[in-house]
Parts: sequence; C-alpha cells; structure tokens
Amino acid sequence: MLEVDSLAFGFAGRVVGQGIGFTLAAGEVMCVLGPNGGGKTTLFRTLLGLLPPLGGTVRVQGAPLEALTRTEIARRVGYVPQAHVGTFAFTVREMVLMGRTAHLGAFASPAARDREVAERAIASLGIEHLAHRPFTEISGGERQLALVARALAQDPVLLVMDEPTASLDFGNQLRVLDRIGELARRGIAVLFSTHDPDHAFLCAQRALLLAEGRALEVGAPREVIRPETLRRMYGVAVRIVDAGNGQHACLPEPAPR
Amino acid sequence: MRSTLLAYVLALAALLALTALAFTVGRYPVPIGQLIDLLIGKSQALPPTARTVLFEIRGPRVLSALLVGAALAAAGTAYQGMFRNPLVSPDILGVSTGAALGAVGAIFLSLGVFATQLFAFGGGLAAVALVYWIGSRMRGHEPMLALVLTGVVIGTLLGSAIALLKYLADPYNQLPAITFWLLGSLAAIAPQDLAVAAPLALAGLAPMLLLRWRVNLLSLPDDEARALGVDTRRLRSVVVAAATLMTAAAVAVSGIIGWVGLLIPHAARLVVGPHFGRLLPLSMLIGAAFLLAVDTLCRTIAPIEVPPGVLTALIGTPFFLWLFALSRRGW
Amino acid sequence: MRPLSGLLVCAALLASSARAATAVVDATGREIRLAAPAQRVYAAGPPASLLVYAIDPHKLLGWTRALRPDEAAFLPPDAARLPELGRLTGRGNSANVETVLRARPQLIVDVGSTSPYFASLAERVEAQTGIPYALFDGRIEATPATLRALGRLMGEQARAERLATWYEAELADARRRVALVPRDARPRVYYGRGIAGLQTGGGGSINVEVLDFLGAVNVAEEARAGLVAVPIEQILLWNPEVILTTDPDFWRAARQDPRWRAVRAVETQRVYLSPHLPFGWFDFPPGANRLLGVWWAGKLLYPRAFDFDLRAKVAEFYQLFYHREPTPAQLDALLGEPGVLPR
Repeated sequence: MLEVDSLAFGFAGRVVGQGIGFTLAAGEVMCVLGPNGGGKTTLFRTLLGLLPPLGGTVRVQGAPLEALTRTEIARRVGYVPQAHVGTFAFTVREMVLMGRTAHLGAFASPAARDREVAERAIASLGIEHLAHRPFTEISGGERQLALVARALAQDPVLLVMDEPTASLDFGNQLRVLDRIGELARRGIAVLFSTHDPDHAFLCAQRALLLAEGRALEVGAPREVIRPETLRRMYGVAVRIVDAGNGQHACLPEPAPR
Repeated sequence: MRSTLLAYVLALAALLALTALAFTVGRYPVPIGQLIDLLIGKSQALPPTARTVLFEIRGPRVLSALLVGAALAAAGTAYQGMFRNPLVSPDILGVSTGAALGAVGAIFLSLGVFATQLFAFGGGLAAVALVYWIGSRMRGHEPMLALVLTGVVIGTLLGSAIALLKYLADPYNQLPAITFWLLGSLAAIAPQDLAVAAPLALAGLAPMLLLRWRVNLLSLPDDEARALGVDTRRLRSVVVAAATLMTAAAVAVSGIIGWVGLLIPHAARLVVGPHFGRLLPLSMLIGAAFLLAVDTLCRTIAPIEVPPGVLTALIGTPFFLWLFALSRRGW
Repeated sequence: MRPLSGLLVCAALLASSARAATAVVDATGREIRLAAPAQRVYAAGPPASLLVYAIDPHKLLGWTRALRPDEAAFLPPDAARLPELGRLTGRGNSANVETVLRARPQLIVDVGSTSPYFASLAERVEAQTGIPYALFDGRIEATPATLRALGRLMGEQARAERLATWYEAELADARRRVALVPRDARPRVYYGRGIAGLQTGGGGSINVEVLDFLGAVNVAEEARAGLVAVPIEQILLWNPEVILTTDPDFWRAARQDPRWRAVRAVETQRVYLSPHLPFGWFDFPPGANRLLGVWWAGKLLYPRAFDFDLRAKVAEFYQLFYHREPTPAQLDALLGEPGVLPR
C-alpha cells in the first residue's frame, strides 16, 4: 500500500529528517514512536502529500505522490488529525459527510450513495447515537471517533492518524486502539503516531522509532522497542514486561535505593 | 430538517410582506386604490406622478435594498465560514475601504455619478486584489491569518488616504458630498444603477452557489481540508473573488452600509447551523428583508434621509444580542 | 443685530479719537489692537479674502486656494500671482501656521460664523502666533459693517466706506423690491446640491441665506439643520416651483431624469444653474459675493420686481469688488451659460 524510500522531509531550507524507508501492506498497522520535536508531524504531512518531499519517494498503491492530484490522494489516503473543537457547530453526520468530498465533482453536493457510505462509516465506529449532535458539543473521545469515521468515508486504503489518543481518557484511548485493530482486519493499512510505547504493543504489527528526524529502527514492536532504544529516544530507563499471552508493557525501571 | 424548512418559509414570507409594505409607504402618499390598480395591471389608470413614484423611485429603491442586503449577507456568510470566525465582516479584506477610496477620489476630482460608482467598484476590487496578492506571498504563515493581517494593514493605509482626500477637499462643496457618500444611502438609486449592479452581484453569487458544498470544508484547518481533497488555495481565491464582486457591486451603488454583512450571517447561522448550502440562501433572504426594512424606515420617518448605517447598527445590535442570548449551542 | 450696532458705535467712537494706534472691536466682541493700520493681511478663508481684496488688493498676502485659470480671467493679472496660503478657519484647516507666519502678516482676518466655537479658535490662533485675529460676521446683511471695520484696520477708510455705502444701498434696493412682491406670489424653491441634487440646505442654514433674504419659501424649511439629504419622494411631495442649483451635472440630470419629471419646476422648466466665476454667486463661498446671487435669484423668482439690467449691475459689482470690469464676451459667457437665465 505504502512504500517509502529514502525519504528526506522538511521545509525549503530546513531538513527535518532523512533516510526514512519502510513499506506498509494492506491490513498492517504501523506505529510511529518518537519524542516531541522528532519530526513525526512533518513526516506525516509529507506522507499525506501536504508537504513536498525534499528527497526520495513516497508511493501509494504504486503511484508516486507527486504524480497524484489532491483528489486522487484523498481517495486513497484518509487523514485523522488530533481531535479539535472546531469553530462551527456542524453535526457529526455533516462532518463525516465531508469525507466524501474527494469522490464528488467540483460543483456537486453529496448524493444518496454518499450519505450511505457516511452512515456505514458512522455505524462501523458505533457512534450512530451521536450522528445528529453538534460536533462542538460531544466529548473529545467521541470527536476523535467522528474524525475516524470521516476518514473512513473517504473509502481509503491507508489511514494516517496523528496521535489519535492524545488528550483522551484511558477508556477512550483503549477504545480507539481497538478500532484501529478492527480497521486493519478489514484490510485498511493504518499508520499512527503516539507517545506511548504501550500503544504499539497493543495494536501495531510494525513500529518505527523516529528521533531527530532519523529512523532509529523499523520492525516488529517486540523487537524494536527495547530498553536501549527507549533510553535513546526518551532518555529514561524502562524495562519491558511480558504479561503473558503475547502482551507486553513498558514500566519504568525502579529507582535504585 | 423541519426547523430549517420552517425558517425558510418564515423568512420568505417576511420578505414578501416587507416588499409589499415597502411599496405602500413613502413620503409621497400613494393611495391603496392606486396600488391595487398597479397590481391588477391597470397601471395606465394611475396618475403620472404616482407612476413615477412607484416605477422610477420606489421600485428601484426597494429592489436595490433587496439586492444590497442579500449581497452583503452572502459575502459575510462566505467570509465567516472561510475565516472560521463568526465575527468577520465582508470588509475584512478591505473591499469597502477600497471602494470608499475610489468614490472619494472620484468626488474629489469632480467626476460624475457614473464615474463615482465605477471608481468605487474598481477601487473595491483593486484593494482586495492587492491584499490577496500580498497576503498569499507570506509563506510560512497560516494562510488565513496572513490574509487578515494584510487586510487590516492595507485597510488602514487606504483609510488614511481617504482621510487625506477629505482634508484636501473643498469644504464647501466636495467635503459634504464625500461625507454623504461615506454615510451610505440608497436615495440616489436609479434604474440604470440596478441594471449594472444586479448582473455583477449575480456573477459573484453563481460560483458561491455552485461551490456551496466545498465551501464548508474551508472552515476546517487547512491541512485537513487539503487532505480531504480540496485545493484550498484555489477555492479560497474563488470565494474571495466572488464575495468581493458581490460586495463591490453593492457598495458602488449604496455607499458604505455596515453591520449587515456581520450580523445577518450570524443570525441565520443561529437558526439553521453552519452548513453553507443551507445557510447561504437563508442569510440572503434575511439580509434582503433586513436592509429593506431599514431603508424603508430611513426614507419615511423624517423629511430628511437617515443614513442606513446608523439604523442597521441601532436595530441590529439589540436584535443580535437577543438572538445570541436565546441560543445555546456554538456558532 | 446686536454685534452690528455695537460695532458701529465702537467704530464711530474710535473714529473720533486722535490716537495713531488702530483699535477695532470685532464681531465677537474682542478688541483688535494694531500699532498702525495693517499693510499685510492674511485672510483665513474665502469670504475674508474677497473683502480684503476688494478694499485693497495689494494688502492681501495670498489666497486660501490657488486661483484656477478660468477664475483668474475675471481678476486683474497680479491676482493670479498671489500665493496659495491655505485656510485657517475652523472648517478644514489646511494652512501650515509656519507658512502663514513666514508671510509676516500684521493682521489675520476671518469672515464667517461668529459662534463661541470659532471665537475661541480665533483666540487660540492669536495666542499661538501673536498676530491679531479679527473675526467678522459673514452674513449678507453684515457685509457693510464688516467692510467698514476692515477699512479701519487696514487704514483704507475712504475706500471701505465707498464699498460699504454702495453695498448698503444695493441691499436696501433689493429689500424694497422684495417688499413689492405679495406674500402669496413668493415661489417655493428647492435648492439642490450634490451631483444628484439630493442634498439641500435646511431651514435657516447658511446655504440658503440668499433665499431667506429674498423671502422665498425654502421647501426644506421644516428641516432645521445645515446640509441634509432628502429622499426624492419628499421633493416630489414638496413639489417646488423653482429649482436652483450650483451643480452642472445635477442641472442637466434634473431636466432629463424621469424621476424628476413630475416636479413642477421641471415641468415648467424653471430649473436654474448658478454662475460660479470667479466665485460662486449663490451659496459658496458664503461671503459678500452672494449679492450677485440675490440679484440673480431675485430676477428668476420675481422678474417684475427685479426688472433691472442684470448685466450692468454685475459689471459694476465685478469692477468694485474684483477690480476688473468683465468684457462683454465674459458677461455673455457668465449669463449666457445654459441654465443661468430663462431662455
């Protein structure tokens, strides 16, 4: 689905990162971990085609991003930003319907088919009860789910989610991660960023550790998330605990007495 | 959905009622009997003065009040959505100030009525073009913020040019004319003004109606809108051009009438929500009705003309505060 | 008329004293003291420029606005060479005080409103510059008194007296003629300003002083304000018999615009355009020049009572006040311009 090759990214005159390379297949979930300022957001914007790459290529379904129009990109890649309050009180249904824009002509409005797709997206995330509510009046977690529904309405093959669990309560965090797993099972490739290494353990098959613009490691979470790599990225001492039946978690190293 | 339909029906009914009322009132008394004659097609039976009043004076004035009100409301609606800020008026990019400078310049040079309107129209377009050109050169800044700041700065610059012209103007002759133009008025509207302004305003309205779905996405952060497949730069420039065309056409014939572009989209949004496809027509209906009501008052409550900007502020502000107090949800 | 009579008394008293210093009380009651009659006078606004120039053109330091060529054609050649000094009155100052000072005036004269606001402005400028600032009443009837006071201040009493006496006689003559016209024969007049003619002078405003002097009925009398805008329907309702204007665009438009067709003045073709060279006759500048407006409007409104030779009177005024008798061709141009007089 997504092939990234020797990608250098940043702004004109400022290289934020380089040497990024990985592939993501359908149904795979990749988690991007990294400290603040490490370049996660800039990387994501480049992968979405919002910033031109400074070097290397990004291919979605085999086609390089530069060769695709905005509309074509939007039909393949769904972007889920961090949940924001927004200024205007669109209903959740209206918000999700906006995801259909890439499938509409320039002067067209959504038709019955588009409404169906939007309803399905809403239902698949279990937020039907929120559909008529104003976006500005629902909780942060509900907003995040609504934004995921919007991205799903685009009928994408790849979802790019920028810190989808930020500022969510514990329960909502787990729910969102759960949905990510479901989406992957439906065949969508998912790329998401997070601060919490445990999230990678919970739902990702691949992890990319991004620090100072470079990929420290790319691979299965169990392999790349190790005390040494975490110390290099975050500067803290942790240990990985095996909770049995395949689940792992990070815990801080107990302080020496 | 039901409340939207109700809102539309009410607004349309109010508009029709006000239009009918506007034809019946005026400083020059036209008896009801003559009005009925007019309606049933017996206009030949009317005395010539009554015909002049209804066809040449009240008719164009009523129609232009509707046109200007609708145009300003539409432009305000588009801008408020685009700038994600419900406190934005159509003048944020300087169209009114540019038009004022054009008109004041024409008055200063003692050119005629048509030239004044032409300069006003051209001035409005030129000001926004300048602001847009400079604003879009500011890379590295959030595009909307760059536009707003540039608009404020250029607007101030143009305002000082106006002040200079007022200062240099002949205080006996040109200065009063300038002052009156700046206060805004529909008093001097003639049928030919309408014949020119209406097509221009419609030319601005057309793209807005066609793109009404996509305009909704302009109220999302730029990255999101682009990721959803919208070429935000191009869409913004089209919306700005369309709104500017409508506003410039309106200001060229009416002078500066404030508050309509700010207040009416707000009021309409409190009723039907921010969805542009629903909001735009209602905004225009309410804007037309509002300005018609105001202008009818302006030309009837005293032997002299009251500047409409004064009344729009006096009436509009408490009305808006009342609406705001009633509403509970967000913008 | 209290300031006027006070002025006359003071002037008379002072004329009888043998002091070399000149002291005159201006229309605001302030005493203007000069060591000697002023030879260099700065006129702060157009009505003042006119009177100072009339009394002695060589003592006027400059105009408030440079003369245009068509205006200069009615004045002697050196008039056009006087510099532009800007105006220093309350309404729109454009004079740089330092520029004024550089011209070294011995006296600043202003003719216009004598309300406390303008009086206090005069005091401020006098305090700021150290130059005596005399403020006189600009109303038509006050012109003779203003002329006499200025004559004293400029040391040109004889000349000023001649002008004042002539002006008084003309005003008296005009009043006599007006009195001949019965009340009900006085037409209703609309004075239209601005290119659309939709602005007018309200009742008692300075813009319609000529109409008030002539006892004509200003249709906008009920609007007791200065310059106001009126809806066209209101004008139709007032239905004036005569329309006077100073704007050529409006004059042309009023006769063609279908909206004005129903107005009686348009129907009977009594829409007239005021001449304006070298200075306006009817409204602005609001100074002594408006005597011309009195004659002109008087002739239009009361043709039988004002049955004098307008050309001769106009020529006399121009000779006296502008120091240049207009040539027959110039008179033709002035009075023959479309709209000035009935065909």
